[in-house]
Amino acid sequence: MDMSSITNWLQASIRLSAPLVLTSIGAVYNERVGIVNISIEGSMLVGALAAVAGTFFTGNVAIGTICAMTAGGLLGLVMAYLTVARNTSHLVAGLALNFLALGATNMGFALLFPTERTRVATYPVLSPAELRGVPFFGPVIFNQTVIVWIALILPLVSGWVLYRTSWGLNIRAVGEHPHAVASAGLSVFRLRYVGVILSGVFAGLGGSALALTDLGYFAPNMTGGRAFVVLAANVVGNWNPIGVAAACMLFGAADALQLRIQTFGSAIPYQFFVMAPYLVTVAALAGFVGRVAVPKTLGEPYDPEAI
Amino acid sequence: MNERETIELSGLGGLVLPYARPLLGIALALLVSAGLILATGANPMVAYAAMLQGAFGSVAALANTGVRAAPLLLSGFAVGLGYKAGLWNIGGTGQIYLGATTATVVGIIPLPVPAWLHLLLAVVAGFVGGALWMLIPAYLCAYRGVNLVCTTLMLDYVAGHLVSWLLHEPSPLAEKGTFYPMSPPILPSARLPILVKGTSLHAGFVLAVALGVVLHLVLRYTPFGFRTRMVGENPEAARYAGVDVVRWILLVLLICGGLAGLAGAGEVLGLKLRLFDYFEGFVGFEGLALAIMVEGNPLGIILAGIFFGSLKAGAGKMQIVTGIGAPMALVIEALAVLFVIAIGFGERGGFAQRQQKKTRGKEG
Repeated sequence: MDMSSITNWLQASIRLSAPLVLTSIGAVYNERVGIVNISIEGSMLVGALAAVAGTFFTGNVAIGTICAMTAGGLLGLVMAYLTVARNTSHLVAGLALNFLALGATNMGFALLFPTERTRVATYPVLSPAELRGVPFFGPVIFNQTVIVWIALILPLVSGWVLYRTSWGLNIRAVGEHPHAVASAGLSVFRLRYVGVILSGVFAGLGGSALALTDLGYFAPNMTGGRAFVVLAANVVGNWNPIGVAAACMLFGAADALQLRIQTFGSAIPYQFFVMAPYLVTVAALAGFVGRVAVPKTLGEPYDPEAI
Repeated sequence: MNERETIELSGLGGLVLPYARPLLGIALALLVSAGLILATGANPMVAYAAMLQGAFGSVAALANTGVRAAPLLLSGFAVGLGYKAGLWNIGGTGQIYLGATTATVVGIIPLPVPAWLHLLLAVVAGFVGGALWMLIPAYLCAYRGVNLVCTTLMLDYVAGHLVSWLLHEPSPLAEKGTFYPMSPPILPSARLPILVKGTSLHAGFVLAVALGVVLHLVLRYTPFGFRTRMVGENPEAARYAGVDVVRWILLVLLICGGLAGLAGAGEVLGLKLRLFDYFEGFVGFEGLALAIMVEGNPLGIILAGIFFGSLKAGAGKMQIVTGIGAPMALVIEALAVLFVIAIGFGERGGFAQRQQKKTRGKEG
């Protein structure tokens, strides 16, 4: 590979990883409060449709983005109600919500846009033209849309909140030892609600990044399991916002690479690059790659009366 | 906290009738979906009538329901059996892919054996393929305590792409010169017989129902079933009673994988007659959803699987009449599961409670 194709690949890597990174911001919080939330796939999907619909009707990408975050957050709210208030199985609740999101977005899409593939405005590139011309950094960083920049900055903010604020400490404590949090006078239920709703909100944002980055349209099931890559990144990145974002970028890079291999061919079949994130995750879980520090009560219900 | 109240309510539901909860959930789902259909501008009664017609209205419709239910049943058993042992098999998708692949490999090779034996070998290969795909997660879960949900879920995605690679040239499994990646056709000797002439209803459906009845009897009346349930409900007691829990988990999980593998084998040997790229759809996840609705009971899975199958079969007719089809079937399925779990899954003897007991056991 020559220099220009490497630059090109890195640019695509960062662009393709933006939806994953944005979704991971919230996913870290919901896993930290002890909830396994596979419904972020559904939140991404409704977010993508809401982003396209909102932008279509208002012509404003910012409003589309707010619609996406609201729609994703609403699904997160239902997930929170089911898992936190009703103590249902996280997995089954998430699975059912994913089915619901898939069916509902299919129907909604057909109703809103009877003519196929309505294109809407996409996220703008804000940097001045001189910066875009800078070799390497120009295309890789500056010639990216504003949502990609947000995806590059948010993990740092999220890491700061989680590790440097007292609220972040509460969030981390809930998943590790909810009873200690309760005896400190804090509401475990409220923290868990917030964690799960946040994951829906950011998954919605991730969905909007997917739909409005260079496509500008919605397609049924367009997320295609991307949220599961984010869940995998959570394991590989050890539930640390910055680590998880880095893992998302790595997985995005693998995705960008496999797209290039599909076009240009290579000795290693492209399918193996698509599989790589999942295989790395299984290896990490099995303890072959470093140490995985799973939040202690992840996936378990909280019973206020149990000691 | 209003927790006591909800426990009593769900307890009532659990005592009145074992299937009260799923039935109530389905009824509520149909009610809410009727509202959604109304919102799209169609008449819900007309839509549901079309759906019923498409699922049960003729021999062809009934056959279609059966064909669509067959893989759902097997995929449901693959989850239900694990559920009885307190294990969550989310790997149905992957096991279905691999079972279909191994069944295809045996099914496309001309073997010097009678037709019935060729078919049997292909079916057994499907079981083995699914079980093998479960081997790594099962080992990691049983011997190293690695979370089964995570590993099986991740391997679902690996399986799809692995099979895709196997169906692309230069793989020997790839049919040459096709526009969509697929394998060569299954040889006639390895195909499941068609039960009703002129339809696609193959023997897989009847075999799946029979397997469900057998599974029910085994779980209820045999030492294997008793031990499996004991491992699920109280692993400590099972250990005390002399069950090698670690090995038991491994055994049960491999059978789960095999059952899902059979679902894949049935699709290839009975319906599609070739292995197609990404053919699985959502059968693995749907099996999970329907098995949980009936708390893993095989007879319940048969009924829920036929219900889900009828939704999918009826959706086609509904599409023609009202313009809304497959997505609506998915919405009804999802709402049914959501209502069933919201009505009270997780309280009386459900997963959450058992999990709590286990955690307390660990801590105490």
